[in-house]
This record gives sequence, C-alpha cells and structure tokens, in this order.
Amino acid sequence: MAIRELKVCLLGDTGVGKSSIVCRFVQDHFDHNISPTIGASFLTKTVPCGHELHKFLIWDTAGQERFHSLAPMYYRGSAAAVIVYDITKLDSFQTLKRWVKELKEHGPEDIVVAIAGNKNDLGDIREVPMKEAKEFAESISAIFIETSARNAVNVEELFQKISKQIPPLENPEVDSNESFQLNRQPALSARRCC
Amino acid sequence: MAFSSSAENAPSGLTDRSGSFFKLIDTFALEIGELKKEMVQTSPTTDKEPMELQGMESEVSGFYLQSHQCGGVGGERDSGYDSLRRRMSVLDRLNQTHPVWLLLAISEEEASRFLLKQPPGVFLVRKSAALQRKVLSVRLKQDHSDTPISHFPVKESQYTFSLEGSGISFADLFRLVAFYCISRDVLPFTIRLPEAIASAKTQKELEEVAQLGAGFWDSALCSQRRTSPRPRRPLSRTLSPQRTKRNGEVGGSQQRHTGSYCESAPPTLRSHAVPPSYNLERRHSSGPLCFVNPLFLQTHQHHHRHCAEDSPPHADKSSKHPENVGESSLKPLSSSKSSEQHTVNIKLNGKSRLPPPRPPPPRSMPRRRPAPPPPGPPAATTRPKTMPEAVAVATRQPQPPSKRPAPARPPSGAKHSSLTKGASSPMTVPLNPPPPRPQKPDMEAHRCHIAMDDETIARALSRAKLPACQPPPAVPTDVPLQNNAQSTSSPNERGHQRLSDMSMSTSSSDSLEYSQSPGFSLGLAPSPSQHRNHQEPVEDSSEEDEDGEEDEEEDYGVGLETDLEMRLRTSFKARRRKVGVSLGGGSFILPRALKGRFRKVSGMLSSLMTPERRAVKRIAELSRNKSSYFGSLVQDYISFVQENRGCHTSGMDFLQTLRQFMTQMKAYLRQSSELDPPIESLIPEDQIDQVLEKAMHKCVLKPLRTVVEVALHDFQVSSGALQQLRENLALAKAKRPQELGVDGAVPPDAVAIEKIRHKFLNMRTMYSPEKKVSLLLRVCKLIYTIMQDNSGRMYGADDFLPMLTYVLAQCDMPQLDTEIQYMMELLDPSLLQGEGGYYLTSAYGAMALIKNFQEEQAARVLSSEARNTLHQWHCRRTAQRSVPSVDDFQNYLRVALQELDTGCTAKTLVVHSYTTTEEVSSLCAYKFKIPDTENYALFLVTEDTSQQLAPDTHPQRIKSELLSRPRGQTFHFVYRRLPNLNLCMPIIMQNGNILQVE
Repeated sequence: MAIRELKVCLLGDTGVGKSSIVCRFVQDHFDHNISPTIGASFLTKTVPCGHELHKFLIWDTAGQERFHSLAPMYYRGSAAAVIVYDITKLDSFQTLKRWVKELKEHGPEDIVVAIAGNKNDLGDIREVPMKEAKEFAESISAIFIETSARNAVNVEELFQKISKQIPPLENPEVDSNESFQLNRQPALSARRCC
Repeated sequence: MAFSSSAENAPSGLTDRSGSFFKLIDTFALEIGELKKEMVQTSPTTDKEPMELQGMESEVSGFYLQSHQCGGVGGERDSGYDSLRRRMSVLDRLNQTHPVWLLLAISEEEASRFLLKQPPGVFLVRKSAALQRKVLSVRLKQDHSDTPISHFPVKESQYTFSLEGSGISFADLFRLVAFYCISRDVLPFTIRLPEAIASAKTQKELEEVAQLGAGFWDSALCSQRRTSPRPRRPLSRTLSPQRTKRNGEVGGSQQRHTGSYCESAPPTLRSHAVPPSYNLERRHSSGPLCFVNPLFLQTHQHHHRHCAEDSPPHADKSSKHPENVGESSLKPLSSSKSSEQHTVNIKLNGKSRLPPPRPPPPRSMPRRRPAPPPPGPPAATTRPKTMPEAVAVATRQPQPPSKRPAPARPPSGAKHSSLTKGASSPMTVPLNPPPPRPQKPDMEAHRCHIAMDDETIARALSRAKLPACQPPPAVPTDVPLQNNAQSTSSPNERGHQRLSDMSMSTSSSDSLEYSQSPGFSLGLAPSPSQHRNHQEPVEDSSEEDEDGEEDEEEDYGVGLETDLEMRLRTSFKARRRKVGVSLGGGSFILPRALKGRFRKVSGMLSSLMTPERRAVKRIAELSRNKSSYFGSLVQDYISFVQENRGCHTSGMDFLQTLRQFMTQMKAYLRQSSELDPPIESLIPEDQIDQVLEKAMHKCVLKPLRTVVEVALHDFQVSSGALQQLRENLALAKAKRPQELGVDGAVPPDAVAIEKIRHKFLNMRTMYSPEKKVSLLLRVCKLIYTIMQDNSGRMYGADDFLPMLTYVLAQCDMPQLDTEIQYMMELLDPSLLQGEGGYYLTSAYGAMALIKNFQEEQAARVLSSEARNTLHQWHCRRTAQRSVPSVDDFQNYLRVALQELDTGCTAKTLVVHSYTTTEEVSSLCAYKFKIPDTENYALFLVTEDTSQQLAPDTHPQRIKSELLSRPRGQTFHFVYRRLPNLNLCMPIIMQNGNILQVE
C-alpha cells in the first residue's frame, strides 16, 4: 500500500486544546511502528484510507497573537487545516473566523478545512451553540465536528473525515513512485475510502 | 597489494598442465591474502570493545600472524602464475556487461522478443511498466512453453534487492543476479548468462559484448552462440545440468570439474539439488535475510585459525586430490575454447561495423532512453556524436585514472587477469587516483570482489552449513571432512541442502553481521572508511572530515540519554558482545529471542554504512574527475561560486542558486549514464534520491562550506541585518521567559543553555543541511525534555514556540541566523514537510521574532520585511517542483590568464555554448583588465599542443567535445599574449567541427 504524506496544520487560539486533540488522536491505539517524534508540536500518524495509507504530518501552531504572523509558514503546503475553537469560549470562535478568512486568502488553494469545536464534554458552560458553528462551517463548505479530547470523543472521526476529503492522487509527481501504482486502481474506489 | 601488482606484470598465456597446479596454490594464496585483510578488518571491532572481546582479539592476532606468513608464501608463488587465476567471476561478467542485460527501459514485448531466441535460463532485467518495478525476465524451458518467458518481480526494500517470495536479499542487482546464476532459490531453475558472455575469456571480449548493449540480442554474436552444442563453460556447470539431475552428485561433480578449476566450483551447490517440495517448506523464511558472505568470511577465519594446518599444506593436500586431475585436464579444454573465442572475436569485429551504438556514454547507452542531452545547448548534444569513436575498443588505451573500468587496465592485464578484476569492478575504481594512497583502490577493489563472486557465494553456503572448521574453500566437498570435529553432517546429508536452507540456517548470523563488522556484509559492502582506517594510515581527509563530524554528533547526543538512536545503539552494543562470544566458540547459534530484535536493528544499522555510502563516495569521486561531464560541471560551478559570490543579491539568492544547482545535478545524474553501473542497480528506487542528495552535499556543499559561510556573513553585515539582530538579541535576552510568551513551563537553566549553545556551535562546523537539522532536533528534544521533566505533561506549539524563542534569545548567537537560513534553503525539499522541516520552521520563526523584537514590542506585528522573506521562501520551494535542467550550469568555462611576468591566474566565466571565441576573448579582456586586447587571444592548450582558437569558434562546444573523448586529456583555455602576430594562423573550425587535438 502506498503511503501518502499529508501535511495537516492546526490553528486556533491558545488553550482551546489543539495539541490535546492531536495527542489523543496519535496516542490512542498506539502503534509501535510509528517512529516517535521528539515532541508534541509535531506528530505523525498513519491511517489506512481506501487503497492508500495516509500519513498525517501534523503541524501544531502557537495560538498566541504574537505568533500569528508566523502562521503562513506553517499552513503553507498543507493538505488540510484543522481550526479548533473552544465551545466554552466565544472569543475562540471569533478567532476561528479570522483563520478561515486568512486561509481563504493566503492558504493553499485546495486546502481541506475542518472546524473542530473542542471540549464538548463541558456542554454546561457552552458559549458557542453547535447550530451556529455548524451553519458557519456549511457556509464555507468545511468539515464540522464537535470533539472532546479529554473523553476521546470524535477525535478519530475528525481525521477520518479529513481523509475522505483528500482527493485521491492524480498527479504521480505529487508523491513517490509507489503511490503511482495505485493509480491503476480505479479512482472511484479511492474516493469511497474509509 | 602484492598480488595484484604481480598479476599485472605477469605473462599472460600460461595454460599448460603444470599451470593448473600452481593455479591452485595461487588461489589459496589469494584466499589467504583476503583473509588477512579480513583480519585487519576485524581488529577494529576489538579495538572498540577491548573489554568484551578480549578473547576474540587474541584469536584474531594469532590468526593474523599466521595468515601473514601464508600470504608471504603465496606472494612468492604468485609472481609467476597469476595467469592461473584469470577466470572471471559471474559477478565480473555481470558488471562488465550490464548494458546487455540491464535494460530498464525496454518493454515487455521487446524483452520477450530478445529472450525467445535464447535458450532456457537466459534472462534480462528490465522495469515493468505495469508493475512499476524491476523484473527479472527469464526464458523458460520449452516444456513450460505456455508461457515461454516469465517475469519475476524484484522487491526493493529499504536497503536491499530481493526476488519476490525469496528470503534472500542483496545489496544490489548485480549480486542478486549473480546469485541466481548459481542457485535457483525461488526460480524454476538457475538463470544463465547469454553464451557469449558466459564464454568470454577476456575483458576485451566482454567489452565488445557490452558495447552492443541491447543490440546484443539481435546480433549475430548472440544468435550464433545459441546454436553451439552444449555449453561447457564454468558458469553453466552449476546451472541446469545439475539441477535437473537431482541426485546426480557424482555425475555432476565430474562434469563440473571439467569446466574450470575446482577452486571456483562451489562444492555444496551441486549437492543442493533437492526435491522441490522440500524447498517449498523452507523457502518461506521470514523477513529478508541479508545472507551473505560476511558470515561466511567470519567462519572462514575461524576455520583457519583452528585448523591444524595452515594453508600451504592445504594447498598441497588438495592438489593431490583426485579432483585435481579433472582440474589439470583443463588445459586442452581451455585452449580449444580460446580458439573458439577467436571465431567469436571475428564475428564481433564484423559486428562492430554495424550501426554504432546510439549516442553517448558508451557502456550504458541502451538502458536509459534519451540520455540526458543536457538540455539546450548544442554543446551537450554534440558530444554524443563523437562517442562512437570513443567506443571502439581498439582505440582504448591504458588510462591512468579512469572511471571506466576497462580502459583502466593495460591491455595485457585486461586480457585475463582476474586478480585485477577487482580493480575493474566499476564500484571501486577510483576516479581520481589520489596519489597519497596508491594502494587503496586495489584493496577495496579486492574486497569488493571477494564480497561476492560466485565462488564466494558457494563457499559461503558450504560454510554456513559447516560452521566450525573445515578445509579451505578450494577443497572439494568430497574430500573427507571428518577432520572437522564440529561438523555433524556428512557430505551426503549436506547433499540435500539447498541454498535457501542455508540461508535459513544462517539467518541469525546475517543480521549479526551488521553488528559484527559492518563493512563486511556482502551486500552492505565494506564501508570504505573503516577499511582504510585500519589498513592504511593515510586517511582521505575528506572522509575523515565527515567521520569526524559524525563522531561529534554522537558526542553531543550523549546528553539525551533518551534519544531513540542512542538507545538502539547501546542495545546493539550489548548484542554485539554476545555475538562476539558465540563467534569465539565457533558457533553461530544465537539466542532465539535475539533473532527478531536483530532484524529490527539491522535496518537501522545498515543505514550507517551500506551501499549507500559506497554510492555517495563514487559520485563524489566522479565529481572530482574533471574529465567526466558531471565532474566538469561540478568543478566549474564550484570555482565559479568561489570567484563570483559577489554576483548574488542576497544570501538567500545565493543559497537558492546553490540548491538549484544541486537539484539539477541530481536530475542529471539520474538521467545520465556517467555513473557506471547505473545507480538503479545499486540502490533501491525509493532511496536513490536520498543517496543523490547526500552525494550532492558532499560534492558541492562540502567544498563550498566556508565560502558560503563567509558570503552569508558578508550579506548579513552589508544589509545591516547583523547589527539589527545583535541589538534585538540583546534586548530579548534581557527578557524573562514570561515576557516572551512562556506560560507555565519551566525554562532551561544556564547549564542547559550552555549545552545548547555548544550544540549550535558544533552545528556550524557541518556542511550537510540534514546533519545540521538533526542537531537542531536534538536541541529541541532537549528543550522538550526539560519542559516535561518539570511537569510531566505534553507540550504543544503553544508552549514550545515561546520556549524556543526564549532559548534562542538566551543563546545569543547572531550567527545562528545564517545557519538557519542555510538549512532552510539547502535542505532537501522532500524533508521540509517532516519533523525536521517543522522545527526548522519554528526556529526560523523564533529567530524572525527576535530579529524584529523592538518592532514587535511596539507594534506587535512582524515586519513586512520578515513577511516578505516568508513569502520568498515559499516561492523557492514551489519553484523547486518543476523539473530542473542542467542548462544553466554547464555554461561555465575556466580560462587562465597567462602573463609572461606574473604567471597564471584563472577565472571561471559564464560562457554559453553559443558564445564565440571572440566574445569570450573580450570577456576575458574585461575580467582580467587587459588594456591592449588586440595583442591577446584565446588558446586551447593541451599537454603538448597549443592552438589559438579562431574568433568564430565556440569554446564551450570545444570543451564538451574534448570531454566526451574516451581518453580524458587535460586541456586548458588560456588567454594570453600573442607571441607574434604574424606567426600564428588561427585554426578554422566550422560549426563545432573540431580540431584534432592530438
């Protein structure tokens, strides 16, 4: 099976749980074959998707305002961006909207955008209604999902959704020769993956 | 080596009866010589671990003495009888003739067409378009004729090649094919070389065959041989005849020994024939085994050490053996063969008048389609046109330093000498014979040779089965082995062994080999530097440099006990100890539990030496050889950069040009056929790019490191960036962690900062961007460790980036800025998305923040300048994606200014292929600041000629024309004063038609 490396960039305010989501994603079902990374800012995980293996290279970003200007370096070349907000903090949802705007303007053209409302285990103190967020996501045709990194809710699903949205390889140059042979498979089946 | 030198000088026609006896002795002498070298090899291991391997060490030294003696004896004998060993191994033949059988570009149809005319077993290797991988296409026997040709996919794992379904893997394709020429393993039967190759007796014949390339298959030579009755060549002797006759040991042996002298006959091979069902059971061994000679070589040693007799006695003994009768009967046979050969030669010559091989590099022409014509300039494309001329073997002459193996040898030596064949192995021929260590090439060549020719394989197999002591390899199996105390299996039992069984039984030791003496594994061929370390005091300074770098790296890693790498390394050490012990006992049994672990480790370990290193080394050598096209491109570029770094607008511009050059050179190397054998046959496909990248670092960045460093610094100073950075660094350094955004996590203390500084300082001494990055990763890892130790939680970028900023500020090293720039621009683009790329980006971002600290404090916005930088960086990375051309980089011409009074000064100029001599002259006048230009002209100077170039000629074309000639002649373009205007008539040349230089 061909391995396809997908750069995924994590955006969102500081403290919304960007790294918690990824840590949860990477650490659950810990696979001993993965080469461990040196820290939690950059993590990788490989998941099967149809006839391909998707290796997510997850680039975490610092959410503080002062680092905002560095973000282009991180989301550049990403296949997908996960923008995380905290359902208990309205501010973080506003920040999210800014990120969406910036990505549309400066991000890679075909970037898959996923919106994750984290901390859904804290429904009691919710400030961002799910409906509002969902409608916003639909308006920009982004993936939407509410997650709980703490309870491991929907984390796996988030990345599965991203996987499904990644267009199958058409241009063999994008990836190694190995994946080229996959092209022999009808593209259809690759699309229906997972 | 004494052996090889004597071999070269020796008379070449000894084929009489008495000869075969000496041949045998000679063979032994050689074996011993090799062993001796092995021993020297081994001692390093003991050096490293004196505590653990003391026992070994004493054994080793004991053996060393002994073998030394034997070697001496062998040496004496050797002088007269080298010719006895002139048989060429399968591997040699394969190496020489790869243009014939390694046809990656041909289609299945074409392959079938070629092979259909061939007898069963004949093969070629091509790349299957359908499978997108290499396949071994083999002509099957007539009776399987529903599919006359079968294609066996070649599996390329990370470091090795193997046939699909087989557990035996090899370091390169040549060894793989060589192996299947003597053992069928997963194939229905052994494959065989086309008759013309198998029966070729001299290098020259092989060369002639090789020159036909793919055309060979349609040639008269090829088809003619096919009809010849029964092949009696040494090669075929181990092939199908024995195979088909499963239990026919006796008959087989007779037959076998008529083929060639017994030393080459793999005794156990014959007896490996076994009912297929048996094979099936055994075949499915687990992961790939790097099976191979190293193991055998080790045993070999043992054997010698333990055996009561040393080699000369052995030789005597074996010479009395009945088998040698057959051996001596070789003479009539071989002479008849040589007459046969003559006819072949004649045919060949007739053949050579056929359409000359397609364009450029003679040896490889068929394998890659449109050889590179390095895009654009006619200069490049004219080169091929002259190549056919280069191809004519007759014109080849000894050529001192040559990357082409064949011409490197004096004709007489080339004729037969198998002693020098090592030197002819393309993998080991030194491109630039470095005067300081004249012996090295030979040693290595030799080593490479012993690494795996057919006999070695065979011996390995027999040894593997009988690990303890047994007579030397040359002694046929039928010789009583009972003196071998530890051998429990009788010859008959062994008779039922198959190669794959052998590999099974040795599986543990295989991986063991990696650890034992890395340099040895057959496939993972000798790590050159290691060898040299212990064989010659004179070290290649470049190697040393690199090794030093690696060592340093290790040292600095010590702080990170938890580094995976370090963990592995230590555990590997521990394991090695065990191995040493078991070796000492003469047994290869490893604790079962270790086996699996070995396999895991071996992957990592092999990355430390391996063919990769060898390939890198060869490319580096090629790059230094100005008579190669690649070499001249690289050298010209390097001198251009050294002289013209001022022509860049910024450090980044400069680095990007460098990066582009490397990328283009990589593309060139992939297309061109200057690397012989093609890199595809040595390195698995998915590793090639990586290997080329490494090679480019060595060829380009290494010589330029200081230049680049100085240039970057100058730019930093001139742009004022350094000053700005200094000021801001001072400001940032004074800040507390919290002020830089650190929240909660505990920052490194002064000691840790010092440690980090030290790593960064060390980083500056490296030229490889990848190594620099790996050091950066260690720094980051250390920061994480400190953060986590104090809290136990995982930190994401929210915490890490501020901390990194703080640490960089504390380190207070303005020069880090250029280091980061260097890495970012020069790192292999494919690594930019990975972990290295991530932390590099973070370091760059942190540095950018510090650089703009004041401004940021005020406006909290990154300067527009920094944003631009980010943007540009983006540009360069995307620009990388388009396929580069070599176009830009072949446009350098080095011209010397010769003044009567001041001697020579040289400059590298940008000269396009369409630039005329006239234009070059005026460029020279400008560059050298010559006032009276009318008195100067451009000359082409060779060793003994000097010709003024006509104004309308094209120097760049002349250069490529000259470079394309088979015998690299040194030449220079010299701009100098006309001796006397009236005496010198310019030579007229038209449209790149070239003057005759000789």
